[in-house]
Amino acid sequence: MEALIIGISNLLEINVLIAILIGSVGGLIIGAVPGIGPAIAIAILLPATVFLDDLVSLVLLLGVYGSSMYGGAIPAILINTPGTPVNALTTYDGYAMTRRGEAARGLSLAYSASFFGGCFSILAALTALFAFGPYLKDLGALFGQRDILMAAVLGGVLLIAAHRQTMGLAALLFAFGFMIALVGRQSTRQIDRYTFDIEYLFSGFNLIVVIVGIFAISQSLILMIGKDSDPPEARLKGGVLRGFVELGRNRLTALFSACYGTIMGIIPGVGEFVAQFFSYSTARALSKEPAKFGHGSPEGLIASETANNAVPAAAMIPLLALGVPGEALTAMMMVVFFDAGIKPGPDIFENNPDFLFSLFFALLVINVLVLATLLFSTRHIAKMIYIPNCFLGTLIMMLSFVGVFSIRNSLADCLFAALFGYIGFIMRRLDWPLVPVVLGLVLGSIILERLTAGAGQIRELSDLFNRPVSGTLAVAIVCILAFIVWTSFRQKKLEY
Amino acid sequence: MSAADPSTAENELFLFAEQDPNSAEYWSDEHFGSAFKSECPPDKKVKVENLFSFKRQRGDLLFSGLLLVLAMFFLAFFWTETGWEKRKLPDEFGTYLLHQLGMIDVEGRVTRFGRILKQSWIAPMLCLLVFVPAAAWNMRNSVVAHHWRKRFHLPTKLNYELEQWARALEFVAYFIAYTLIVPILGYLVSTVLFGQFLTWRLGYRTKKWIGISLLSSTAIVLVFRTLLQIKTPVSIWLYDQLPVAIKSFMLSYF
Repeated sequence: MEALIIGISNLLEINVLIAILIGSVGGLIIGAVPGIGPAIAIAILLPATVFLDDLVSLVLLLGVYGSSMYGGAIPAILINTPGTPVNALTTYDGYAMTRRGEAARGLSLAYSASFFGGCFSILAALTALFAFGPYLKDLGALFGQRDILMAAVLGGVLLIAAHRQTMGLAALLFAFGFMIALVGRQSTRQIDRYTFDIEYLFSGFNLIVVIVGIFAISQSLILMIGKDSDPPEARLKGGVLRGFVELGRNRLTALFSACYGTIMGIIPGVGEFVAQFFSYSTARALSKEPAKFGHGSPEGLIASETANNAVPAAAMIPLLALGVPGEALTAMMMVVFFDAGIKPGPDIFENNPDFLFSLFFALLVINVLVLATLLFSTRHIAKMIYIPNCFLGTLIMMLSFVGVFSIRNSLADCLFAALFGYIGFIMRRLDWPLVPVVLGLVLGSIILERLTAGAGQIRELSDLFNRPVSGTLAVAIVCILAFIVWTSFRQKKLEY
Repeated sequence: MSAADPSTAENELFLFAEQDPNSAEYWSDEHFGSAFKSECPPDKKVKVENLFSFKRQRGDLLFSGLLLVLAMFFLAFFWTETGWEKRKLPDEFGTYLLHQLGMIDVEGRVTRFGRILKQSWIAPMLCLLVFVPAAAWNMRNSVVAHHWRKRFHLPTKLNYELEQWARALEFVAYFIAYTLIVPILGYLVSTVLFGQFLTWRLGYRTKKWIGISLLSSTAIVLVFRTLLQIKTPVSIWLYDQLPVAIKSFMLSYF
């Protein structure tokens, strides 16, 4: 209870409150602009967080993460263009509603479903913290270096398994990210890895430089070489408050979608897309009017938006509990932890329980704040849709420069960011996923660190697996690998 | 064809409609209205399955090849760039490995497995064990996809894609130029100039857009330099021309 009170009082500091406000309103606007997703915004903001307090930084990034999907629903419903990639499914039923002249109803449903999904997963996490808090304190003793090492490997394997049709490509890009993490001088033995005697490479690639390059600069290039779209004028008539009543009528759909979002968010590497897929498919299977799905079904809209927004809070759980990020955005947040010198993991339950409460209550405040903002200013935020893409590209490029330069005033950092930006641009052109590179980079750093730190406790190979947690995780890894092999063979069989 | 002839129509299969095209209902406005109307424009319609779909594009083969070359590059330099030359392995390593796998017993003192794991070449080796086969497998898949595109007479020529890559390279060059110019002209002046130039280059050449660009460039400087106090090169050559009081203010905040 003491941790809860300290956690809430931490949130009442003026810096934190300002960060919550800027993060949530900024995230809302960023989400509403097609072309800038939360990943790009967080990548640009990351360098600035170096100068901020760790709680302020995390709350700022959480604000962007938690609110961008609300904003992303606006262009998805009004002009059939998802504001963030995860809002793609929202266009399916949302835009059909707009064409029927029910744009306000669609937006209202999306907001209420998002709010329900967001609050559901936060409350689930807080309940778990309250219920298991006393036991979680002892969790730290169960998790040693080898257990975290196994958890990081499991994160990588899950990520590859989640890329259903492109597992080979995901494995390649994960290894590419890992290879980038390997470059530099090994701290314990002063042995250089792939530095080729280039002084800049001795300290390795800075995580933020790579992330800004791959996510932000690449997107600015995509926007600048593309054409400006001319979205149709969106007319918004009617109030946006009725959605909660309609959500109440479809409470079962909302409930299982929120459960899917929460569960899928907890599993590293899975995320919003799979959560949406399951919740939408289930909603269609259970619906009395399945034919309406894709043609403006309120249940379809509720399913996709609830599942989306249940993920952010749930995705924080593996990050905080195991120190293993599950997707790109939490991987970027991991960088904040690295910079702040905090090691997320089981120890956090014993050492910083107030920090956990602060984060989850901040998410709750962000959801309330975003809903309140949307109810009163949807019409103004919707105007952001009409900012030309090419012009956005110039802004992202200027922001990327200052972001990278501010880390250590290095022009070489900017040049390498440009290089990674160009690689990211080609990957975007080819439809290759960017997330495995970033997760390879972050999880690779964790694997490297834990491998070196945990080596002293390993007398024999079996010592890697003979602890309860590491053994369980190793079994999970083997099962997932077996599943990958089985599905690959099955796919092959179907092809012929 | 004359009006309905049910005797022949009954046994025919129709590709697009369940209704008999010889019937009067088929040609009515009502029927066409429902058969061809879509709630969303077909090119924008998103299916649930599309969330996971992946199709290899033109240029995939080239980039897959480049990644394979990169993987081979890292493999080739594994022996000299990872500390492999300074490796410390137990004598009779094969026997040692079999012992670690629990297949045989070894008498006497056995090297701790952790001492091997700690060495700097272990992580690159583990990474290459995934990287090289995955790059080769991806290359193979890319070649297969390329042949499929050829077989179905889909465009395979690289020209268009390379043109796009080259266009992006132009903007990368501007970014690098901006990076190199900042220490010379200072952050404020370079950013305003860069913003103006890019806006002009992208075709926004009206007064309105020049104004918006000027405002947004200045806003970026204000947020990062003035508010967050991020240290960036200052335009000292310009500030030297200003009165002392304004100069010190500009040096601190711009």
